[in-house]
Amino acid sequence: MQYWALIVDCFRQSRDRKIFWVMLIMSIIVAGAMACVGFEPGKVTILFGMWEIDTQWLTAGGGLREDLIAGIIVDILMDTILGQVGIILVIIATAGFLPTWMDRGSIDVVISKPMSRWGHFLGRYLGSMAFILFHAAVFVGLTFLAAGLRWGCWIPGYLWSIPLVVLLFSYLYCVSALVAVVFRSTVAAVMLTLFAWCAFSGIQVTDDLFTTTFPEWQKYRTAYKTIHLARWIVPKTQDITYLAKRYAKAAGAEEFMPADTPENDRRMMEGAVKVEAERIAMSPVYTIGSSLMFEVVVLLLAAWKFARTDF
Amino acid sequence: MVGTTEMTNWAVDLIEVRKTYARSIEALRGVNIQVGRGEIFGLLGPNGAGKTTLVKIMMTVVRPTHALGTILGRRLGHRGKLARTGYLPENHRFPPYLTGMQLLNYYAALAKVPRARRAENAERLLDRVWLTQWANERVDRYSKGMLQRLGIAQALMNDPELVVLDEPTDGLDPVGRRDVRELLVELRNQGTTVFLNSHLLSELEMVCDRVAILVEGLVSRQGTLRELTEHTLENRVTFRGDAEPIRGSLEKLSARLDGNTVTLPGGEVGPLNELIDFLRGRGLLIETVAPHRFTLEDVLVQAVGDQKLPPAKRAAHRKRSEG
Repeated sequence: MQYWALIVDCFRQSRDRKIFWVMLIMSIIVAGAMACVGFEPGKVTILFGMWEIDTQWLTAGGGLREDLIAGIIVDILMDTILGQVGIILVIIATAGFLPTWMDRGSIDVVISKPMSRWGHFLGRYLGSMAFILFHAAVFVGLTFLAAGLRWGCWIPGYLWSIPLVVLLFSYLYCVSALVAVVFRSTVAAVMLTLFAWCAFSGIQVTDDLFTTTFPEWQKYRTAYKTIHLARWIVPKTQDITYLAKRYAKAAGAEEFMPADTPENDRRMMEGAVKVEAERIAMSPVYTIGSSLMFEVVVLLLAAWKFARTDF
Repeated sequence: MVGTTEMTNWAVDLIEVRKTYARSIEALRGVNIQVGRGEIFGLLGPNGAGKTTLVKIMMTVVRPTHALGTILGRRLGHRGKLARTGYLPENHRFPPYLTGMQLLNYYAALAKVPRARRAENAERLLDRVWLTQWANERVDRYSKGMLQRLGIAQALMNDPELVVLDEPTDGLDPVGRRDVRELLVELRNQGTTVFLNSHLLSELEMVCDRVAILVEGLVSRQGTLRELTEHTLENRVTFRGDAEPIRGSLEKLSARLDGNTVTLPGGEVGPLNELIDFLRGRGLLIETVAPHRFTLEDVLVQAVGDQKLPPAKRAAHRKRSEG
């Protein structure tokens, strides 16, 4: 009852903000835009036939290649729109949940209730998760339906994007929560969370460069070992997309590499293709497990700090 | 450190409550307060005395540096007993996106009030604080007085045994304040213990059974209003003439000269007649003789003044004022 009350309150708070409705409208627009795209043998039509684009490579034997469609959906919808633009919007929208909740006069009544401080913190945290879960479900659900009804491409594996995006957000929100509890500042929570996200991604990309694309760089042992260790510790935010591709059975990146790519660019892209293939094949237990360990440690720290704060 | 004591019959039994901020700021220096069940208890003191800190410690909003004591028979901070306590802090800020009804339900759910009882209590309490018509309006449309009344309703949603109210009449007009006083008396008559923290001494005088005066983190006085003012009776004699030449003599009689008024502490008739005879013997014309008892404000001011005295003088002065 108490946790449910905290979650509902958090959701009501989010619904009161304009950004909630902006994200909802964005989901509808994207799904609507997908519905305006049609696939016919050898071509893609835009706005119900107003424009046409030749796309022989997208069809195989007259039918639509579902693995390629799945790859496009995961890369553009799940990764770029939901996983980057959406996550940034949600980080901004939720960054103020904890600081405003902890304002003097606001927190007093709440924490005077018969619930432990840890319980209060956890309830508030779950409330923020409810916010992203709602938007992820709406976005993925609408686009799933659009792809299925309009293109005939029913990709059940794409629905795994919902929990994966929630997981991605949780990796970042734990940082936001810790910053919020320590500094009680919405601006600090936004800035430091985005910085942390960049850092996590940067570490992963750099490790991939060391490991796969430019293995000759491993001669710089200290740098390589440091980056490799850091990669183990921090959340694997980049790997969320690879997991989504795995479950959606999406085509690999090599399918999207044009035949006339220049040699220098080809090497980089081949490296990226190799990384993607390795990551898709990697056990989700390691990817998610190690990321969750980081998240749990950070959340425990935030909850401990919250429990010891005098308001 | 929070220690335990055996269960008591006090609603609130605070023993040696201390709070130090940042290792050097002593907000509370060993507070001892007892509040009987079913009484209205007032806590007063000057700004910075530590009243709000003490109230927050009672409600687990602030952790004490050291405290022994019980709330409703259980150790200070016991979570279970918080379900039987209602609290309205000073300068509260409610979520603006909730309606009045949603707000009451939200806090009641946190207080583990069953769903069916929540609806019933919310309706009853909104009616009691004259907010029924505003039940479905967002809280950010409420006036200050309405928010205060909503806050009081919120504190009562779980039918508490103990209600802690920090400045409950803040922002209310005189009619609203009277209504709150009546509500507090109703609660007492139902057996609920009320712990009030207020600057409005006149309000406390009207409703409180017992009070405590907190000065610089310590309880200076504690008791019923009668007990606190019992030994403050004095007689004031106004006269015509110049009494400056006899100021020293008056002081020897334990009287205090202030303009054309002489104040004699204590209500005994003998010394009063001696003083009157003395004044008449010096050619002064007596105009009025009137007894005067300290108000709560006078007691507070005296308590604050006492705190500024050196410890030895403070003890003597306190002993004198307590008779």
